[in-house]
Amino acid sequence: MTRVSPTPALARLRGDFPPVGRARVLVHRGTCGNAVGAEAVAAALRASMPGAAIAEGACDGACWAAPSATVQREAHSHRFARLDRGIPDELAACLAGQCDDEYAGRGEYGLLERVGRNDGSFGDVIGRGAYGAAAMAATLRPEQVIEAVAASGLTGRGGAHFATAQKWRLAAQHTGQKYLVVNAEEGEPGVFKDRHLIEGDPHRLIDGILVACRAAGVDTVFVYVNGQARNARAAFERALEDARAQGILDGAAFGGDPVTVEVRSGAGGYVCGDESVILNSIEGQRPVPRYKPPFATDEGLWGRPTVVNNVETLCAVSTVFDSPPPPTKLIPLSGAVSRPGLYEVPIDGNTTWTGVLATAGSAPGLVPGILLGGPSGRFVTPEEYEVPLTMRGLGAGGAVVLPRDADIAEVTRSLAAYNMRESCGECTPCREGTQRLVQLLEDVPANRERIAALIETLTEASLCQLGGMAGRPVASALESFPEAFEE
Amino acid sequence: MGEALAAVSRLPRERTQLLPGFLAAQEALGWLPRAAVEHVSEHTRVPVAEVYAIATGYSELRLTPPEPGAWYVCTGVACDMAGAGALLEATPDRTRAIDCQFLCALAPVVHDDAERLYGRVTAEDLQARLAEAAS
Repeated sequence: MTRVSPTPALARLRGDFPPVGRARVLVHRGTCGNAVGAEAVAAALRASMPGAAIAEGACDGACWAAPSATVQREAHSHRFARLDRGIPDELAACLAGQCDDEYAGRGEYGLLERVGRNDGSFGDVIGRGAYGAAAMAATLRPEQVIEAVAASGLTGRGGAHFATAQKWRLAAQHTGQKYLVVNAEEGEPGVFKDRHLIEGDPHRLIDGILVACRAAGVDTVFVYVNGQARNARAAFERALEDARAQGILDGAAFGGDPVTVEVRSGAGGYVCGDESVILNSIEGQRPVPRYKPPFATDEGLWGRPTVVNNVETLCAVSTVFDSPPPPTKLIPLSGAVSRPGLYEVPIDGNTTWTGVLATAGSAPGLVPGILLGGPSGRFVTPEEYEVPLTMRGLGAGGAVVLPRDADIAEVTRSLAAYNMRESCGECTPCREGTQRLVQLLEDVPANRERIAALIETLTEASLCQLGGMAGRPVASALESFPEAFEE
Repeated sequence: MGEALAAVSRLPRERTQLLPGFLAAQEALGWLPRAAVEHVSEHTRVPVAEVYAIATGYSELRLTPPEPGAWYVCTGVACDMAGAGALLEATPDRTRAIDCQFLCALAPVVHDDAERLYGRVTAEDLQARLAEAAS
């Protein structure tokens, strides 16, 4: 892969921030690290290595390693895991240059490239590819930008995998006030990719936002962040401030039209997975789905054309001018593996669950199934472990690996109960159906036919995909693990 | 209460500021007492009945006061499988179940009454932390 060459404007900006050559220790103090003692680790490192350059960054996706720190030297990156168990002498030696064991833990390029590898400052990311796409887009006409995205084949990574270029094109054909809404609500249990992307590399998201604005002719952006993702919001706001100060948002740095970005926090609700709920929420209406059509690209926020893109989608947009753009997908992986965390895998026809499980420290023989997509997902069974992964097949990508002794019936009931609690109550099939489904699951052998009929109703008649997909994990469990539901 | 109401009053007087208003008040008070909801209603010029209808649509808005000293155990899929149930059983008087906290790779996860998250928690850890918090 070759990265897009910096435009003259970007090259000038980068010139203002010469790379810092000094070796340093980057303590991963994201939400993950902080939950397992990274604060104490940072203090211990500072006490034991006076005078050393010790910086702080977010989680690098290796959540299993937390609390951890990465020694960064020229062309050398070595992560030291589980520092709560003590700080090894090798860390100081590595910092001093006495270490050949480079362990980075993932590929050389992709959306995670800078995540958790920087200290959150603008200077630390601008020399490493940040804003290459926005600077390039500013030199192109909107149609050319859309063409580039279409050529990359990029589809929405929130789970629906609608063609991103097509969505932008639909909005671009309208004139007048238009909006971009960034869906950073990420309320699906088992999914934690967007908050890692924002916390660890917020400038990549801004890069993608600017490209989207250029393509669709948008000047007003709302970023709707999950209410619990406080660190992600804080990191994004800081990055936004820095980008503003560098003239990146007002067109001064790269050219292009000024863009205003407003950050909003959500307050819970799996139903926000439906983009129209977020539109209602921003407007100050009840957080319930709208009838479609009209689609948001025609009538969205306040009746105006609105593009709604997921965080991972916009981060992937930042790579569309690279040649070729890395066709990778983020997989937040948890459950019965020894290395749970955020993985980025190439979707190139060679990646399988067997490979993913091996990377995460497990093996197919140990795993009876993988819950893919949480409460609206399905169970992947061992027969599929060798089948190459596809973008569409992965949905949003959230994977929970089941342990050998998993109680599938209990997992299924708990997913059904979650959908019931999260149903917003707007439409009858979902409001009543999700409740009835939970009741019927109490005695599966006696209710098989009624469960099947109810799932059909939920799927066909619900207003949004919360209800529409609520029966999916149940149907999948009943089909793949019938023995789990026998008397 | 005054600080919470002032935080709401600083927002533009527009309907789009309803949720930001709720969140500002809740941030200051820990929950949304009736007076705060009414102030959001008055400030955004949206009828109070409608404001309540909207507030009840968000699972993270608290319309009842939080239990003092209660901790919360995540019961998302990953935490459930990693022993969230055992954590709840080990500390029945002090902990409550909550939905996914999105820290699935560090399951099981709990948070304290100030929403500070702890990952890879064992029953002994949790009991020790609760004892420490109570003293």
